[in-house]
Amino acid sequence: MEVEYLVRVMFRFDKETVDKPITSQVILEQGVPINILSAHMNQRGGEILAEIDSRSAEKVIKAFREKGVTVDVRRLIEKDDELCVDCGGCVSICPMDALTLDEGRAVTLHEDQCNGVTCGLCVDACPQRALRLIG
Amino acid sequence: MKDLVESSGVKVALRDVDVVTTGTFGAMCSSGAVINLGHADPPIKIEKAWINDVPVSHPGAAVDLFIGASQMSETDPFEYGGGHAITDLIGGKEVELRATAPGTDCYPRTRLEVTLTKDDLNQFYLINFRNCYQRYACATNGRDEIIYTYMGKLLPHYRNANYSGSGELNPLANDPDYETIGLGTRIFLNGGVGYVIGEGTQHNPTTGFGNIMVKGDAKAMDPEFIRGASFTRYGTTMYNGIGIPIPVLNEGIVQKLAVRDEDIYTDVVDYGVPRRGRPTLRKINYKELKSGRIDVNGQSVKAGSLSSIRKAQQVSEALKHWIEGGRFFLTAPIERLPSDTVFKPMKQPKGAAFVENIVHEAVTCTEDEDIEAVAARLINRNANHVVVVDGDGRLAGIITSWDLTKSIANGGDGLGDYIVRAVHTASINEPLEAVSKTLAEHNISALPVIDGERRVLGIVTSEDISKLVGGRVLG
Ligand code: SF4
Ligand code: SF4
Repeated sequence: MEVEYLVRVMFRFDKETVDKPITSQVILEQGVPINILSAHMNQRGGEILAEIDSRSAEKVIKAFREKGVTVDVRRLIEKDDELCVDCGGCVSICPMDALTLDEGRAVTLHEDQCNGVTCGLCVDACPQRALRLIG
Repeated sequence: MKDLVESSGVKVALRDVDVVTTGTFGAMCSSGAVINLGHADPPIKIEKAWINDVPVSHPGAAVDLFIGASQMSETDPFEYGGGHAITDLIGGKEVELRATAPGTDCYPRTRLEVTLTKDDLNQFYLINFRNCYQRYACATNGRDEIIYTYMGKLLPHYRNANYSGSGELNPLANDPDYETIGLGTRIFLNGGVGYVIGEGTQHNPTTGFGNIMVKGDAKAMDPEFIRGASFTRYGTTMYNGIGIPIPVLNEGIVQKLAVRDEDIYTDVVDYGVPRRGRPTLRKINYKELKSGRIDVNGQSVKAGSLSSIRKAQQVSEALKHWIEGGRFFLTAPIERLPSDTVFKPMKQPKGAAFVENIVHEAVTCTEDEDIEAVAARLINRNANHVVVVDGDGRLAGIITSWDLTKSIANGGDGLGDYIVRAVHTASINEPLEAVSKTLAEHNISALPVIDGERRVLGIVTSEDISKLVGGRVLG
């Protein structure tokens, strides 16, 4: 099942790629919007933090990589397994089934399902503060 | 055991099994620790004290303190509390103790600041005066906003449900008549050894909500099985892991040990109603709860647990290893727990008041009405809010007299643009404290009162509340 949500991505540019109009090229070529959240650039390189629609994320990421840009798909929710007691307080909250109780009654975070910062509903539901937003 | 009884019957189970271990791991707010500090030089008779900024009480003599699990830090409330301080001490961490005192002839000192670990304490006892509830209610929320409760975060419109308790693994569910669990029963308490010291507070065996009071040496406990916890906008508490062995003495006990999740029923309760008698939506068994999806009012709702079944299993496994390894011996209770007490509600305190006591008829209109007619009605009734309803009397929005004035001043030709459609509401049996909180949080002055079908029953205003309390501050 294809679910629509926003994927948060970090593009890293080096000396070579920083002064080329790569971002606008990709937007034009792929015909998809890229929502830029923050950008830090100078002559030596820089970073752009952006959100892309999940359905086009794969081809956008590929296009950037082909143009020599390093792409980090940020893990958006992090679960600290040392702190987690597998209670399940977060499971009923998650609209994406990204937090599930498995057969052995352990709670697992499926990062690929998580909507991350656009959701974040589970973070303050965890009594152990084992879930946090990163990036 | 449960499988064995099912496959081979009670007699075989009685012959082959000597002891069954049970376990639970969940939030138990009625917990704490008694510590004795020893005397400083010059000595102090503590009046007020804090551990890592969590106020601790001084229920006894000069240097005996009680750390309450749900007591919150003054500098980091709702995040760090007594449960965290106790867990930090058990984990070998240093804590900061501050204390003040009036100073007496025999205890001249008035201030104290010292860093302590558990090794510096004379006694460090965990006392837990209510835990191991046989079963617990399952919480959901019928309101139109998220609520934060001791049963966790509850999404609006019954979109999730949280339950607690380990079901068929729970100690008391396996000994519902308290035949083997009683005063003096030796137990696994948070990775150390503890004892049942009686029935817990609010012990309610007649309705199947029995519980126990326990005590144990916290110095020997293991942070794997005890954790401080923070419930957002509710407060702090502590998770405890308790394991109790049940000796298989006779066929009656075997039969009770065969209890299954599907045999243990509890209620699904609407925590959206902040009253003592919260409405029960349905009965449910732990099997359905543990399946992760339950049916509430015809919707399939995700159910999550707040107590950890996995940890409960680890507790019961650990206890089993202790017994098999000869490190733990069972005791017979020296007194049985009462099985006939009831849990009484509090005598009705003064001043509790509910929406039903002050609700009055709302000035209403429909969306297509003429502005001037609506304005005239407001003036006649000397009111400040018009509740907009649809053809069936259901809530559609609200307009204030101020907005109405604006629309007239602008020569507006319809009410439409001035209607606030995302309206905060109250229900008829809501306590006024809750209403005041909603009014203050959203900086508004009135709430339409609606029923479950969003039909408008009336309106409550901040003016009515202040008249009623005559300047007394609610909340
Ligand atoms: S942020 Fe939390 S609740 Fe939201 S999708 Fe991710 S895991 Fe689920
Ligand atoms: S609520 Fe927190 S502690 Fe409980 S299972 Fe989820 S992540 Fe783990």
